[in-house]
Amino acid sequence: MATEARDRIAARDRIAAQRRTVDAPSSVRDDSDDEMIVSFPEFIFKEFIASVAMTVFLIIVSFIPAPLLGQANPGVTPNPSKAPWYFLGLQELLSRFPPLMAGVAFPTFVIVLMILVPFLDRNPSRRPSERKVAIILFALYMVIVVALVLIGVFFRGHEFIWNWGWVLGSPQSCGGAAC
Amino acid sequence: MRVIRAAIDEAYSVMAQMVGSVFRHGLPLTDKIAARTALTNFVLHIHPVRVRRSWIRMSYTLCLGGLSFFLFIVLTVTGLYLMFYYVPSTQHAYQDMRDLQFVVTFGGFIRNMHRWAAHAMVITVWLHMARVFLTGAYKKPREFNWGIGTVLLLITLLLSFTGYLLPWDQLSIWAVTVGTNMAKYAPIAGPYTRYLMLGGRAVGDATLLRFYVMHVVGLPLIGFLLMVIHFWRVRKDGFSGGL
Ligand code: HEM
Repeated sequence: MATEARDRIAARDRIAAQRRTVDAPSSVRDDSDDEMIVSFPEFIFKEFIASVAMTVFLIIVSFIPAPLLGQANPGVTPNPSKAPWYFLGLQELLSRFPPLMAGVAFPTFVIVLMILVPFLDRNPSRRPSERKVAIILFALYMVIVVALVLIGVFFRGHEFIWNWGWVLGSPQSCGGAAC
Repeated sequence: MRVIRAAIDEAYSVMAQMVGSVFRHGLPLTDKIAARTALTNFVLHIHPVRVRRSWIRMSYTLCLGGLSFFLFIVLTVTGLYLMFYYVPSTQHAYQDMRDLQFVVTFGGFIRNMHRWAAHAMVITVWLHMARVFLTGAYKKPREFNWGIGTVLLLITLLLSFTGYLLPWDQLSIWAVTVGTNMAKYAPIAGPYTRYLMLGGRAVGDATLLRFYVMHVVGLPLIGFLLMVIHFWRVRKDGFSGGL
């Protein structure tokens, strides 16, 4: 922590110095990373490449059929019933903690915390080496979210009970009911 | 011979006029022409005229914000096609999905693309957020844009979630039943919130209509407006590129 604080002071000084020089003209062409270049065509071209790549990817995956099970039947509850995968982290929490905490307090807390992140993080530096604490905390958050989702998708079977057998999502597992 | 040459000349000049009416500039042979191009062409106009080389390194943004927007456009286009064939009522919805899959020309393909692009967008938006965090790009003066981004993430999730119900198969109604059950647990407001979302006590006709309206009009409209503000702020706050 002490080094982090020292880094932070150093970063503050450096950034203040940067602000003072930010208006200095830099019209010299130097082929460096800092050089101002006209965005057309180089930048536009990069975007074009990215969208072509994404289009090709989408066309390929679009040959995989999207799931369509039997018609909705309010009388037959598939078991397990799972939320869409991006909400499975929440469902996972709900299966472990009291609903008020997991279903309401926790998500609200995370959303508010996210919006407040820029105000809570008092460290002005943007260099990874000077923001170890922030990066570790964020990585932890990412790992937890991804783990919860993966557990929800693959390791929750009948009655949402733990199952090591890679229960693939809800489509295949409708608890024997005709779906 | 002369007549033919004159005809070709004429055709050429008509074509040149057509192209010239759309693109009001020539090839970007010099920086000056390139800059003028950027000012007069709409696609280019929503980009900055000049950028620092370090800003447009693909290794910095990984194109994730741009790809999120691109997927949003793909979803709008494919979604329009699906809307031609889909009626949001419990009577028709499921049969319409089957028709799309087996009868409508390219219906299955477009539906698959819509579905996979939606999943992809949840992932790219999430990774874009991670990129912004890891590069510290949310720091002053971009705090507000980070906030807008957070709301955009929620809207992306809600768009996916509302779309999930529309096929009206066993997967969709039960996923949405589970999802909306979570809302129930909020103190006092919980049951009312759930009632408001479902338009009743259980997932039914009213729910399908509500989800449909939010999915095709409400959320895309709000999302698009926020994206416009988001991009505007990226320009006005200055891009963070280069650490
Ligand atoms: C529908 C969702 C979103 C779209 C279409 C979108 C689009 C974009 C685009 C095109 C940029 C330009 C730079 C880049 O491509 O990285 C950008 C920058 C930015 N985005 Fe997003 N974004 C979305 C969601 C988010 C989210 C979820 C967050 C954070 C919670 C966020 C925060 C930011 C910030 C702070 C910047 C400025 C970054 C900088 O200057 O380096 N955005 N966004």
